[in-house]
Amino acid sequence: MSSVSAAMPRSAAATARDATVRRFALSDAVFRAATRIAALLVLLILGGVAISLVAGAWPALSKFGAAFLVSQSWNPVTENFGALAPIYGTIVTAAISILIAVPIGIGIAIFLTELCPRPLRRPIGIAVELLAGIPSIIYGIWGLFIFAPFLQTTVQPFLINLFHGVPGLSGLFAGPPYGIGLLTSALILAIMVLPFITSITKDVFDTVPSVLKESAYGIGCTTWEVTRRVVIPYTRVGIMGGVMLGLGRALGETMAVTFVIGNAHRISASLFAPATTISATIANEFTEADGEIYTSSLIALGFLLFVITFLILALARTMLLRIEKRTGA
Amino acid sequence: MAGFQTRKSKNAAMMGLCMAAAGIGLAWLALILGALLWKGFSGLNLAVFTEMTPPPGEAGGLANAIVGSVLMTVIAVVVGTPVGILAGTYMAEYGRFSKLTTIVRFINDILLSAPSIIVGLFVYELLVRPMGHFSGIAGAFALAVLVIPVVVRTTEDMLLLVPNALREAGAAIGAPRWIVIRSVAYRAALSGIVTGVLLAIARISGETAPLLFTALNNQFFTSNLNAPMASLPVTIFQFALSPYEEWQQLAWTGALIITVAVLTLSVVARGLTGRRETR
Amino acid sequence: MSQMLPIGKSAVMTASVPAKPKVEVKNLEFFYGQSRALKNISLALPARSVTAFIGPSGCGKSTLLRVFNRIYELYPNQRAQGEVLVDGRNILDRGQDLNLLRAQVGMVFQKPTPFPMTIYENIAFGIRLYEKLSKSEMDGRVEQALQRAALWSEVKDKLNASGLSLSGGQQQRLCIARTVAVKPEIILFDEPASALDPLSTAKIEELIDELRSEYTIAIVTHNMQQAARVSSQTAFMYLGELIEFDLTETIFTAPREKRTQDYITGRFG
Repeated sequence: MSSVSAAMPRSAAATARDATVRRFALSDAVFRAATRIAALLVLLILGGVAISLVAGAWPALSKFGAAFLVSQSWNPVTENFGALAPIYGTIVTAAISILIAVPIGIGIAIFLTELCPRPLRRPIGIAVELLAGIPSIIYGIWGLFIFAPFLQTTVQPFLINLFHGVPGLSGLFAGPPYGIGLLTSALILAIMVLPFITSITKDVFDTVPSVLKESAYGIGCTTWEVTRRVVIPYTRVGIMGGVMLGLGRALGETMAVTFVIGNAHRISASLFAPATTISATIANEFTEADGEIYTSSLIALGFLLFVITFLILALARTMLLRIEKRTGA
Repeated sequence: MAGFQTRKSKNAAMMGLCMAAAGIGLAWLALILGALLWKGFSGLNLAVFTEMTPPPGEAGGLANAIVGSVLMTVIAVVVGTPVGILAGTYMAEYGRFSKLTTIVRFINDILLSAPSIIVGLFVYELLVRPMGHFSGIAGAFALAVLVIPVVVRTTEDMLLLVPNALREAGAAIGAPRWIVIRSVAYRAALSGIVTGVLLAIARISGETAPLLFTALNNQFFTSNLNAPMASLPVTIFQFALSPYEEWQQLAWTGALIITVAVLTLSVVARGLTGRRETR
Repeated sequence: MSQMLPIGKSAVMTASVPAKPKVEVKNLEFFYGQSRALKNISLALPARSVTAFIGPSGCGKSTLLRVFNRIYELYPNQRAQGEVLVDGRNILDRGQDLNLLRAQVGMVFQKPTPFPMTIYENIAFGIRLYEKLSKSEMDGRVEQALQRAALWSEVKDKLNASGLSLSGGQQQRLCIARTVAVKPEIILFDEPASALDPLSTAKIEELIDELRSEYTIAIVTHNMQQAARVSSQTAFMYLGELIEFDLTETIFTAPREKRTQDYITGRFG
């Protein structure tokens, strides 16, 4: 029968097709599984970080308990460790750096979106973002060899003389001008987080619908009034997210600070005094730490830093997500 | 119109401040790069690339540190990039609408800006402590952990920019999803994904903190990944804080090399995405 | 032509042509999440002929088209209920392989979607999926497909140029070539000319007219003249329902339903 003979080659082709279909189904399932595993691996990494830090910190945490958080002593000889001094240094340097970097960063963002002549906008934007790409160790070495001596010989003596005898402030700017110390670290951190804050602020400024700005200009507002009354209120959440992101960086930054903080485990009122931060303590002492409790205490510091930055960064991302959703909708 | 005058001068004052802020930002960049060029160039010569790190007080180079950095960076990229691209692929393709993707994106963003020293501690606990010694492979692994989030983020972003119509067209001729991803989506997103990898390399090539207690340092040349390994950033750290002038000079020169490498990578990466934007 | 048509929605609406149906839709429902986009659709597409779907935007005509190759499965929360029989086999069955289905039911989209590869590769990509061909066989198939889409003379000297370098109308014909290259039995056109200029549109319509002798074609269009020009039978849809399905001539000259008449005379839509 002609229909049978005609069907023969077709069924051979159909068999080949079926084989291809099965091969596709299998290879697609394999690739899908591979991508899913990779995605789960990202979660696993964060989980692994948390678990390994808790495990490593456990000996110290179980020995010192809550005292670890409030004790100022850091004595490798008696193996008595407390985290208060590094926590204090971390928070103070990060806070000062944010106080300096936020107004400047927002200022640059306003300059870039409202004032800058168009041909210069892109090059300057790129230059500011290149600052963000420079590795932190470069800031560290620059801070140690160039910036700190400059502060030591000019700025610090000037401030000490200026505030001498002024109640309150004289304590803040007291002591011998070492060059290195809390304030120097905070200034270096400010330079480091500045590009992050600037570029995020600029990005969220760009999300403001131009009709909104145009209608404000249309009723005769000045550039500053448009910025102050329209742009900043509209982007407040996004700016806060950028600031939080910068804060996260400042809290966790290691190398730039390690060079110029002085690594002194004490809390002093003066901003010129050498101090330490969590990350600088770990970087400076970890390889030299002997004894389980010493190492474990350093890992416990790392765990504290992890918890603090996790919370700050989670907050930052949630805020930035909110503004992204708004522009997406 | 007295009110108008005040408003105008207030505007001028605030805008002046903004301009000053931009001036400060740029001046700082110029100061840092200027110092780096001035200090770094004076020590730049062939010996820096051919000789080993010297003992205190002697002349030498950074050859072993440069090789160590390159080696660990290459391994980190080779390990981290596929994981990052696959994870980003899941988020933008197979799992685009899944709950898992939302969680992974959130966690990945946190990893992206998490302090790198914590990654160092993690790898210390994971590899160095069980192995009993510092090693180049542990350093490379720590860097890989830093590569992954950068690549995940850019891969997802770039794949999301690929129009859905293209995926539908691929599916409509009978191609299974993975072939559509490989031959259509990856191709359309290629320059963006390459940018992500370049940015990741730029990021890890200057990282110091995660290497301090994973790869440690090594004064001699080694390609043995099971032994401590020198790297440029850690050598800079060690030499800069030393009291010896030769070491400090080498630190500056090393800093210059890293900065030039990182800035070149960033500029190239920017060039790649810049072309996309104008198209 | 004067045959009686089955009346009533549950009955299969068949246009009065003798050809055996290639596709039979029975009691089809479609959901986007909770909202129902297609309501109890039943109709049959005759083989080797062009069926047009018209109706105001949002009436479900594109949704219906996207059921025929189950392309909606790329997205979550979209599902179809009922039966769609192709050569008597229900393609909505769970066991139906989607890749195979889509190789058999080709689709051309509203906007041209050339893949980011060369013109040659755009065609060869689909062929290579299911067939292993030698270089010369492949060259032949690529040429044949481009000839079929009336594009060969325009691109034969630049097969290695990017598909994106072509004009909009050429890109759309490239997409048609790509679709016929994999030898489907059914081709779906989703407003294929809505993004094109009149000249390119005319070329596409000509092409569809040539393809009708070999393929079962379904075309969604918002352009009623286009439907009248290219199709043998026309379905009018409104708010997710199939209002009327008949020979194109009948629909445009003597529709039974008032809503159909209102739509074609431009009273709404």
